[in-house]
Amino acid sequence: MSTALEAVPYDTTLARLRRRPPSRNRGAIVRHAVIILFMAIILLPLAWVLIMSVKSLPDAMTGAFWPTQFDFTHYGYVLHNIATLPINLFNSIYVTTSTVIITSICAVLAGYALVHLRPRGGGVLVAILLMSLYFPVRVVSLIAVYQIQNFLGLINSTSGLILPYVTLNLAISVLIMRSMFQLVPRELIEAATIDGAGPWRTLWMVGLPMVRNGLVVIFIVNFVTAWGEYLLCMTLTNDQVRRTMPVVLASVEGGLGEWSWPNLAAVYVIVVAPAVIAFCFAQKLFFKGLNEGALKG
Amino acid sequence: MAETLASSEVGLSRRWPGRRPSLRLTLLRQRAGAWLFLLPALVFFIGYQIYPIIRVIWISFTDYQFLSTKPAHWIWFANYAEALRDPLMWESLWRAALFTIMFLPGAIALPLLLAVLVDRVTNAHLATLYRLVLLIPAAIPSTLVFVLWKWMYNFQTGPINHLLVSTLGVFTFRDAPQWLGGTPLTLPSIAIMEVWWGLGYHTIFFLAGLAAIPKDLPEAARIDGANEWQVFWHIIRPRLAPIMMILVVLRFGTAMAVIDEYLIFGGFNRQSPTYTWTMFMYDEAFREGLWRQGFAAAIGMIGAIAMMIVMLMLLRIFRPRD
Repeated sequence: MSTALEAVPYDTTLARLRRRPPSRNRGAIVRHAVIILFMAIILLPLAWVLIMSVKSLPDAMTGAFWPTQFDFTHYGYVLHNIATLPINLFNSIYVTTSTVIITSICAVLAGYALVHLRPRGGGVLVAILLMSLYFPVRVVSLIAVYQIQNFLGLINSTSGLILPYVTLNLAISVLIMRSMFQLVPRELIEAATIDGAGPWRTLWMVGLPMVRNGLVVIFIVNFVTAWGEYLLCMTLTNDQVRRTMPVVLASVEGGLGEWSWPNLAAVYVIVVAPAVIAFCFAQKLFFKGLNEGALKG
Repeated sequence: MAETLASSEVGLSRRWPGRRPSLRLTLLRQRAGAWLFLLPALVFFIGYQIYPIIRVIWISFTDYQFLSTKPAHWIWFANYAEALRDPLMWESLWRAALFTIMFLPGAIALPLLLAVLVDRVTNAHLATLYRLVLLIPAAIPSTLVFVLWKWMYNFQTGPINHLLVSTLGVFTFRDAPQWLGGTPLTLPSIAIMEVWWGLGYHTIFFLAGLAAIPKDLPEAARIDGANEWQVFWHIIRPRLAPIMMILVVLRFGTAMAVIDEYLIFGGFNRQSPTYTWTMFMYDEAFREGLWRQGFAAAIGMIGAIAMMIVMLMLLRIFRPRD
């Protein structure tokens, strides 16, 4: 046994060279056990909600993890019987889609300009954007944002939420796009310019296809933020029908009737599933984007 | 216009024959047009970040009340003096610091451990699967994380208390822990939730750093007889220091300025451990009396400045020495 342990470093090196998992290595077993424990901690709360959404009502009350009887009717019930639910869902989709589109356009244009059009004062702008990441802008600016929305008559307006939402991740989005455009060779942009393409055409035909992965990162980051935003929505709107779905979900207490636990869980799954599924599909591009330099921003 | 453009191009081509002048001119024109590209981002950034901050600084020197019709007066540092004399200001800053102390070590150490473990997984399929699971919590929008854990921590039906009371029998329903709602357990409960939320994302962060370390460095050390701890401490830790610094400083910033979680889990009880400077500001700005937003702005500025001071200290401590 002791000789086997002494040989371990060489064994792992050889195994690695042969690209074979070191299955007999005790260290590897412990390692995988710890990793799987962490994975379970990450997945268990989500599994709990997923199972809760298909539990029968009596099972939901007992609190047992695995139900004795499944009941798949909760999804249909919440969509048909909770009057404000489709409105809140629509609000979420409307506000989030608008935010993602507007922020992405702003970030692509600004990132491209900062790298390839080299404006005077661009360096100062980048420094200010970076600084804003370290300052608690979201919290401290809340009072003034409320006053602005009030001045514009946008208090209690769902569309009005889009304006501050765009700004939430704007700085980081611009910085990500900037680091993505830095990877586009300058010669390529100049070649397009020599061929007579204006800056818009160059961006659309040459730049944009090369920053696809960064764009995916920005889509996801902004989608997640806007979809789950609480503070601004809670402060700038008063009526439940104006609010987004997650904010409504945060304010209801679980109990009986239409907000029974399985119903709540079903709403939760409906709201969280698009984000997680979209993410799983986009994860390859997301990792590529992260590796290409989004992390450095 | 066309004439002057044409003549200037002629003038240029006399100095630089061939294609270069028109390129140079286009580049010059682009430089001026660059601000047109920056305009949409600038409108939002100035309108909803720069201006609001300036506005908040400005009204923090006035006695502005949102619901009052009387004009505001410039009162210099009276708001700041009042806030700093208020024991609640200090108490609320301390509470935010307490939460940060509870949250930061776990939010850095656990992902670091997990990253070191996942980095050594050689099976490509497993490595991809682990990374996918790791990023799932990061794909869950903030409010939905809070809602999920509000249910996890639920006193009666939450799975955590169910586990403690019915399965393990550590507690009865009479003395089961009250996790949320401004109890002493609320801050640690939120800290655990935040660690869970950031676990995957921070791990991915560290994994990116680990990927940059040449594989033969730790291997060589192991062959020379170094144990795993020595490999970690002398080879991996120094190379992860820059990433760790970014994480510590950024997460310190978010932890000190938490507010959504406190609004959902804590409420506006001034005795609650969740009543931090952010809640104090929110309470004064949007709930109390005539909404003394001038005073609330001063509270916000004090909190933000206190945070920035500590962040600068952190940057000094973690600055690269070699």
